[in-house]
Amino acid sequence: MNSIGEECNELKKQYDACFNSWFSERFLKGHTDESACAPIFRVYQDCVKRAMREQKIELREIDTEYTTNSEYEKTGSSSGKQQSKS
Amino acid sequence: MKIWTSEHIFNHPWETVTQAAWRKYPNPMTPSIIGTDVVERQVIDGVLHTHRLVQSKWYFPKWTHALIGTAKSCFASERSTVDPKTRQMVLKTNNLTFCRNISVDEVLYYEPHPADASKTLLKQEATVTVHGVPLSHYMEDLLTSTISSNAGKGRQGLEWVIGLINTEVKGIAESAARGTDELICTTRRSIDEVTESARKGMDEISVQASKAAKAMHIT
Repeated sequence: MNSIGEECNELKKQYDACFNSWFSERFLKGHTDESACAPIFRVYQDCVKRAMREQKIELREIDTEYTTNSEYEKTGSSSGKQQSKS
Repeated sequence: MKIWTSEHIFNHPWETVTQAAWRKYPNPMTPSIIGTDVVERQVIDGVLHTHRLVQSKWYFPKWTHALIGTAKSCFASERSTVDPKTRQMVLKTNNLTFCRNISVDEVLYYEPHPADASKTLLKQEATVTVHGVPLSHYMEDLLTSTISSNAGKGRQGLEWVIGLINTEVKGIAESAARGTDELICTTRRSIDEVTESARKGMDEISVQASKAAKAMHIT
């Protein structure tokens, strides 16, 4: 999978490969020490943070519907509680 | 606001499904996901916490473009925890401010099937809210059906990745990482080839058709 910053693709690929093998070979087997991928993670993070700044992506999340729910109820939205199972 | 829920059973153990979950993208079934990045990750008290940024492209019918704009990429924020002790993986996804009028919030739970630990149960919940545009309810219905079909594709995508992992485990490649990349490349290439040959097929058909049409005019 590509990174949001094209210039980070190669670093991301290397980090993902490291993480995937750490996750299956170490973490799932009860070893929680994450230092194995730390160096490549740092370099990759620097690149991603730079790409995010350049693309003006902020990690500020909007309020979820759980907080706006009550307003919807008050305004009498009839579809507020529709559920569908599939 | 509209809530959509679903359950699915994977015939694979939880360890396999969680590994596949990290490698879910890219897969041929969900081309709408075009980029992912980890922005934070650490192990706290034995639990892996990850914050990822997910870039996707949503397509809507043309008449909605005036309301919410044409297809453009949206960024979602995905926070997840993996607890190997309780064997639970939870992923919560929220829209970022990029798609102001629409918020899609999704939660996925992966846990061993209570009756059969060799299987994995996926519980999925999505909440769709469209703010401040006319026909909000209509838009919510539209999005909910999009999510419903995307969820099916997501599960197929995950099965595809599991297939890939199982092939690797059988020893196709020495290095897991290299193996995946190669497999993905090969798969992509064969998809490209299929597309290319289909296109050629179509070209051939249209050439034949226009020849036939010309012949008909002449005769």
